[in-house]
Amino acid sequence: MGYRVGIDIGGTFTDFALLKDREVTLFKNLSTPEDRSIGVMNGLSKLAEMENLPLADFLGACDAVVHGTTIADNTLIEMNGAVTGLITTEGFRDEMEYRRGYKEDIWDLRLAPPVQITPRRRRLTVPERILHDGTVHQPLDEAAVRAQCRRLAKQGVESVAISFLFSFVNPQHEQRVAQIVAQELPGVQVSKSHEVLPRAPEYDRTSTTVVNAYVAPRVTHYLENLVRRVRDAGYAKQLMVMQASGGVMTRDYIQGAPIRVLASGPAGGVIGSAHVGTAKGHRNILCVDMGGTSYDISMVLDGAAPAVAGWNMHHRYLVGVPMVQVETLGAGGGSICHVHKGEIAVGPASAGASPGPICYGRGGSQPTITDALLMLGILSDEAVFAGGSFSLTRRGVEDAFAAIGADMGYGAEDAAFDCWRIVNANMTLGVRRITAGKGIAPQDMVMLAYGGNGPAFACTQADELGIETVLVPRASPTFSALGTLVADPRIDEERSHIAAADTLDIARVRTLWADLAARAKGYFTQAGFPADSVTARYQMNMRYPGQNWSLSFDARVTQGLDDLSFVDETLRDLAIRSFNERHMAEYGHVREDEMPEVTGIRLTTSVETPSPMVVAGFTAPPVAAAPARQRRANLGRGYEPVGIFAGPDLKPGHHVTGPAIIEESFTTIAVYPGWQARLDDAGDYRLVKLDALGVMGFP
Amino acid sequence: MSFELNRRLAAHRPPLPTQANIDPVTASIIRGGMETICFEAATHLGRAASSPIINQSNERNACIVDAHGRLAGSAIGTPHLTFVSQMTVRYGLEMFDEFDWGPGDVFLGNDPDYGGGHLPDYNVYAPVFDESGKLLLVQCLQAHQGDTGGKDPGGFTLEATDIFTEGLAIPCLKLVHRGEHRKDVIKLVTRNNRFASFAGDLAAMISGVQYAVRLLQGLVAKWGADAIRAAINHSIDQSEKRVREVVAGWPDGVYEADVFIDHDTAGTKDIRVHVACTVAGDQLTVDLTGTDDRQSLVGVWNTFGNSRSYIMTQVVAAMDPTIVKNEGFFHAVDMLIPEGCIAQPPPNKPAALGSFHPACEITEAVCVALSAIVPDRSAPQVYKMGMPNAVIGFDPQGRMWMDQGVDSRTCDTSAVQGIDGWGSCPAALGNLLLSQVEDAESRFPIVNISREMTQDSEGAGRWRGQPGSLNSKQVTQPVMAMTWMVTHDHPLRGLCGGDDASPYSNRFRVGAPDEYRIDLSATAQLPEGSVMAYQYGGGAGFGPATDRDPEAVREDVLDEIISVARARDRYGVVFTGTVEEYDLAVDTAATRARRDAMSMAVAAE
Repeated sequence: MGYRVGIDIGGTFTDFALLKDREVTLFKNLSTPEDRSIGVMNGLSKLAEMENLPLADFLGACDAVVHGTTIADNTLIEMNGAVTGLITTEGFRDEMEYRRGYKEDIWDLRLAPPVQITPRRRRLTVPERILHDGTVHQPLDEAAVRAQCRRLAKQGVESVAISFLFSFVNPQHEQRVAQIVAQELPGVQVSKSHEVLPRAPEYDRTSTTVVNAYVAPRVTHYLENLVRRVRDAGYAKQLMVMQASGGVMTRDYIQGAPIRVLASGPAGGVIGSAHVGTAKGHRNILCVDMGGTSYDISMVLDGAAPAVAGWNMHHRYLVGVPMVQVETLGAGGGSICHVHKGEIAVGPASAGASPGPICYGRGGSQPTITDALLMLGILSDEAVFAGGSFSLTRRGVEDAFAAIGADMGYGAEDAAFDCWRIVNANMTLGVRRITAGKGIAPQDMVMLAYGGNGPAFACTQADELGIETVLVPRASPTFSALGTLVADPRIDEERSHIAAADTLDIARVRTLWADLAARAKGYFTQAGFPADSVTARYQMNMRYPGQNWSLSFDARVTQGLDDLSFVDETLRDLAIRSFNERHMAEYGHVREDEMPEVTGIRLTTSVETPSPMVVAGFTAPPVAAAPARQRRANLGRGYEPVGIFAGPDLKPGHHVTGPAIIEESFTTIAVYPGWQARLDDAGDYRLVKLDALGVMGFP
Repeated sequence: MSFELNRRLAAHRPPLPTQANIDPVTASIIRGGMETICFEAATHLGRAASSPIINQSNERNACIVDAHGRLAGSAIGTPHLTFVSQMTVRYGLEMFDEFDWGPGDVFLGNDPDYGGGHLPDYNVYAPVFDESGKLLLVQCLQAHQGDTGGKDPGGFTLEATDIFTEGLAIPCLKLVHRGEHRKDVIKLVTRNNRFASFAGDLAAMISGVQYAVRLLQGLVAKWGADAIRAAINHSIDQSEKRVREVVAGWPDGVYEADVFIDHDTAGTKDIRVHVACTVAGDQLTVDLTGTDDRQSLVGVWNTFGNSRSYIMTQVVAAMDPTIVKNEGFFHAVDMLIPEGCIAQPPPNKPAALGSFHPACEITEAVCVALSAIVPDRSAPQVYKMGMPNAVIGFDPQGRMWMDQGVDSRTCDTSAVQGIDGWGSCPAALGNLLLSQVEDAESRFPIVNISREMTQDSEGAGRWRGQPGSLNSKQVTQPVMAMTWMVTHDHPLRGLCGGDDASPYSNRFRVGAPDEYRIDLSATAQLPEGSVMAYQYGGGAGFGPATDRDPEAVREDVLDEIISVARARDRYGVVFTGTVEEYDLAVDTAATRARRDAMSMAVAAE
């Protein structure tokens, strides 16, 4: 078996995970923002060196190079994508601006509008109309299309989105316009809504297509560049790319809708969590990733992190492709603490990586959560930070919290402690909002904490939420790279078809599924995976008449892509029964007098690929670890002497009882009072609440 | 059911009795927990409901009322609903013993004369008790229903002269007793509704409120009832304090405004809403004395609960958006609403249409009055269209369908100082997701023709309003269409020298020989193929149009929001080049000359 390499590029570091015979090796080097593929090639050279192979031989022996990129996210953060035009149905020029009426804050009438990717002058319409059943109500006016192309050319448009009403039922007009655009605007990238997001309603589809058009040239250029470099260096297979759906797929597939890589970084972390957590015996996991600017929350349910295609607002644009659900709160190590109208507040403003917290000593002057951790003694100016790249300073930190305390009528340490409480509360509420939204009680889950700051808060978060077990894998700082190796190749697509379930057109459904299966087969075969290795989930989306939100369920799961024999007259009854079960589970009632309707069909295809082995279990004899030293710290019950443990010295079987602090190379684990950290046979941390029913601490 | 009842329901209520002390951080954590529960209850309903007005328009709201009937915590929805829910509950609380309240109960109220909004706004609520069996909280879930069982589908009857024409009025009705559904009662309620899907919607409201009660019980178990009481008291006090701080920063004085409705549904013209906002130290008083009180008016009666809510919606918009929305606002702001005027009708008046007009004119008048004090937070949080605006027909199985016209469009999106009107509606309505063509046409025999913004329909100003849109649609079966046409003669008011918005208009049978404009109202049978064209009014402008940055005018011309001619005539901006060639440039000298001439003409007037 050959190598598999997972690569995740972040703002500061590029992370690598190398898989050989299910053993995983982790590595980090600095990112190269001027051309990120350079940092990738440097790291690959290093991995080859570690394997004592020339780079060409190493890459030649790679079964897969899997890549996660934030380039689409960065394009939207910086709003520096392509000059984009939109061609749409006459009479419907402004849906992008209406946003179905949505505004992010109903209380703030000073909220500014989002920057228009397609300002009105580049949203042009042409006479054409297709109806809901696919019939052509008004033929396409090709002369008008050419005229509008000339207007777009005059504006220097580099990328064109095409989105017509009901194109997902009948794509003829979009396809014809794409041909005309190719003639009239040679070299311009084209995004067709029936390919990017073939479903209703029009705002969702158009917005997704416009964002796709906006990021497509940069993503495409970047991936082409990277593909050329790894190929020239000796890699013969297709480059695999992480998608927001939590699966990976070939670069060729991604090129069809580059928007699929948007938000794929956090998805990699969640997939890694699912893999590690389930291997350690947990199928319901609350994943929390606290970095410098944000607190990302997601859930693994029954061993999986389901992707959802719905009202996904990203950077103020709706993106309707399937995404692993990751909720982001503005609560990170860099979140700024301040007093607002007599109350302490934390974030959402962040000091970012530069200048960063005051304690970084890089010119930051506003107190942050990282500074509060320093005040509380959870972090230390004596320890090295971020793998030894720098150490923290107390200079200016105390004064900053003293200023906050002065506003509140107490001292600097109390102010830091209240900031810690506030950010904890914000994170707890964020988690509750998300779990409650799914009807899940957090106490039924284990928490898996990663990111540089996640483990510093994990126990107290868990306490607040009633969670009694927290996992902190040693690989947690490079979790997204690990996730790209865990993620299986996957295609998840759907087609709209609206019909009452009892009169469902079986032939039509079969045709739609067959088309999706043929597409999937083509891409998987091209990527070197035979069709019979593909697991196919044939799913249906249904709702009661009038409901706006559909529920999805499996109609059939098959191995291979050729068996559609289940699509016969019995499908109608199966669909009604399965949907009612889902509705009862989700909403607690069934509408006995109503006939549900099908809104679409979906096909999720994947191939299982080798994943890193995860060692679980506690066979090593339990031994209380000895602290390296002590320092004064406040872990929620006032300042007291707290044992400090050196993470690299801890071995399987070791346990550490709180209050204690474990300093790892890239993270700090706070073991709060009432908690105990235990190292399993892999050397990963399991934090357990001691007073929980039936859980006794090792002496 | 009397002015006396209204006075009792609106009366100031004391803090919850508790000995507990609570620190601000714990109080805000508990408050956040309650808001999250409200969010969950509303989300549950939005996903499970069938009516487009709930699940697409999101016209639903969750809030928590305390044992004294005070608004303790709120969540998403529209502000217009947020500030009225507690009034229905207060009536229920008056009947606590008579109606045998207990754990596991769920109630329903919608009666305009017992604290409600208009009839379609069903408020489903359920009590939470503490460890000793004392009432602690009431969870509310309120949503606009598609029908109320009255004379006309949807509950909007143009000629209604009493509430009974509009449908079933429910002061306080127990739907679930000690956890058991009262099937006979639920059958009665669902029977009084035209739409089969209503039973499911009601089931979704009940299950949503029960779900929230379970979560609240968890909150009580975690913190203890006394801490929750103390947290609510703290949170309400804190909001009152912050509102008073804001008001104390405003100059003392009396700020007045008049806003008019074109006509009532019987054709009586120029219905007046008068507002006087008095600032005296940290006390804001909003007084509607002078508002029309002619008892003969038809259709323009806004319920007392709604009038309070629509005043508060604009007061809240004028404040720091981070002030927590709860009873503290009602403690800090006094309201005088004369008994018998169209903002506090006598018992049994119809209520459905009043939630549009004069409700929105009350909000608008508060905005116009306050714009003299807080121009940077003044844009009316309104919807000025007439209602109903519905198309009704029957499917091949004989089941009635109704397109309520909550279509994607733009209207009433006024500028605020420094920011042009944008998007499709004022911020307060930003949770209402508008209906899409591809959903509507998959359900109804309709083909939409246009939903585009209309060039030159923005309210001009230094900051301009968003243009209105022309929404036209064709029916492919015979239908009945109902509409009430307003905001044509009296469009949305411009602020601080900005232009008024463009007017609304409505035409039926467009393109046919018998095409006609609706001047007052219509209940029309339209044949297959009929086209209706509804012109939504735009947003109003802020500040004089001739003060607008000429480069911003150029951008608008390039975006075809305004024409070259309007740029010259209304903004005094003259260009070289053409829109077609994208080489438009401001002719600085000609613009200066044009603007000079315009200001001289104004001075001459």
